[in-house]
Amino acid sequence: MAEAVMSFTVIKPKIHCSCIQTAKVELNPAPNSLRQCSTSGFSKGWHQMEGSCRRKRGSLSKVKAFPDLTLMAVLVEHIEGQRDLITHKSVWHLNDETIKNDPYYDSEQYRKDGGDGTGHWVYEKQEDIEESARAELWREELIEEIEQKVGGLRELEEAGKREEELVK
Amino acid sequence: MATTSLLPKSISPFLSNPASIPPTHFTNVSFLNNPSDQSSYTTKPSTTRPNAKKNPWLDPFDYGDDPEMEYGSFYSEGKQDEDPRPPDNPDSPYGFLKFPMGYSVEVASLGLKIRGDVRRCCCVISGGVYENLLYFPVIQLIKDRYPGVQVDVIASARGKQTYELNKNVRWADAYDPDEDFPEPADYTDMIGIIKGRYYDMILSTKLAGLGHAAFLFMSTARDRVSYIYPNVNAAGAGLLLSETFTPDSMNLSDGGYHMYHQMIDWLGRPGRNVPRQAVPPLKVSISRKLKEFVMAKYKNAGAEKGKYIVIHGIQSDSKASMQSRGDTDSLLPINLWAEITKAIRGVRPVFVIPHEKERENVEDVVGEDASIVFISTPGQLAALINDSIGVIATNTAAIQLAHAREKPSVALFCSEEKGKLFVPNAEEKRCIVLSSKTGKLIDIDIEAVKNVVPVFELPLALV
Repeated sequence: MAEAVMSFTVIKPKIHCSCIQTAKVELNPAPNSLRQCSTSGFSKGWHQMEGSCRRKRGSLSKVKAFPDLTLMAVLVEHIEGQRDLITHKSVWHLNDETIKNDPYYDSEQYRKDGGDGTGHWVYEKQEDIEESARAELWREELIEEIEQKVGGLRELEEAGKREEELVK
Repeated sequence: MATTSLLPKSISPFLSNPASIPPTHFTNVSFLNNPSDQSSYTTKPSTTRPNAKKNPWLDPFDYGDDPEMEYGSFYSEGKQDEDPRPPDNPDSPYGFLKFPMGYSVEVASLGLKIRGDVRRCCCVISGGVYENLLYFPVIQLIKDRYPGVQVDVIASARGKQTYELNKNVRWADAYDPDEDFPEPADYTDMIGIIKGRYYDMILSTKLAGLGHAAFLFMSTARDRVSYIYPNVNAAGAGLLLSETFTPDSMNLSDGGYHMYHQMIDWLGRPGRNVPRQAVPPLKVSISRKLKEFVMAKYKNAGAEKGKYIVIHGIQSDSKASMQSRGDTDSLLPINLWAEITKAIRGVRPVFVIPHEKERENVEDVVGEDASIVFISTPGQLAALINDSIGVIATNTAAIQLAHAREKPSVALFCSEEKGKLFVPNAEEKRCIVLSSKTGKLIDIDIEAVKNVVPVFELPLALV
């Protein structure tokens, strides 16, 4: 998860920076109303940012309908007699390509037993594993048997050759 | 003729007397007859079956087999083919007709009707590890009798673990058939699963009453074969089953090693041009992965490959002690085991504990340096036994596993009769059976055991 965020910020540093700035601009006038920030303040920030993007349309080469923006809210909690508790909140989106190329989504953590990541719940994963293990076992035994037979044949052949040599 | 041959199928599972019609749904197939094979007509196996079902209530118009019926060899004789579908013909100009000339799809499934082929078979097995382990020869028998059959198993969660050791099984599902009141969701889910797999034959070793018979009936398998209660509880079960076996007692496991003999008799019955199928011995196969895993385990406990004896059967209330249901008095307290192992020289005893809480007790009695291995699955136990030089155990799955891997063993039984039941032909299996005189395992003569134990030191002395 952390990797995904990291890679994202590396990919789009420009927009990211602008977002932080806009968020700060938005939030600075009302730092005390924390709960508002987390709910209504968020949508405000979104609009604000869209606006900022629209204004910059001339300078930016390409703007998507749903740009991969990192929305960031900075929550400041005032507690009497203590330092302010500052929480950075972000909402981030990944496009399909990023998701497909993200190692996290191929990892065991995401695709372990039960879910396969598609939203279709997959049953019988465990049964599948056991079934394939038994099939493997069957193959192993077969190979062993064949090896034994081949070994027996070889011994017979060698014995035959020796006899032939003795006869000669 | 072809139309009449298909007609009885829709009626027979419900009304006809299965003793006369299944297991091979006889139909007149004279259109397939090969004139040269007319002489090879053999007597019907059903008339010779000892415990065939004969119930006039099911079909009052069943007068037995038709003596004028003639059978050819095609689809009616011999064992089934391993793979009924011939290899695809890629050169076929018709695309969809990829099978070779002369292979007609229309009659390809006749074997299923006439000969009673079994392509998919399901075994519902009641009991724990021991009962499932003793079922292995039956599965091998099914494989031998019906070449190419796919065998699936439904067993309790503990019993299912045994199939780690069986290469002949495809799916093993955990569902406890012994539970009297299963969760409705589990019950219907399992019915859906087995119905969706379209089994030809479903075998059950749970004593069936009407309820279990209905469960088997809903699988829609052609042959529904089960043990039934030997008392009034079996009422109604026969209506839903195509073959029933009545066990000698309420507890099937009382039969010992040959607990499934009635089912084996029926499965291995001779058919047309098929001789009686012999019962194979109990065999288990252990995967390389498992061996490596267990090797790490016993090395960690301070034992070396081929230089230790497995001690199994320590008293515990754990569910993983792998006893048989037919012999509940089959565990010895650790202080007796400690006395027995004192007589062992030259090889290291490895104590198998079924639960971690026993570790302290064993350490207290035997000493801190004792080799203790925590094993709760039959697969790991089998791998441990496979690398040992022998086994000393009470009547647990360890004894049967030792026989399956051809290791010498000393078996401690609570009575002589039980010993004979669970270990028939002990000499052949290199097993020394010692039994208690009083009928209680705890009274077993420790001195006698001590005298026998040095058997295991001989191979080392020779080396």
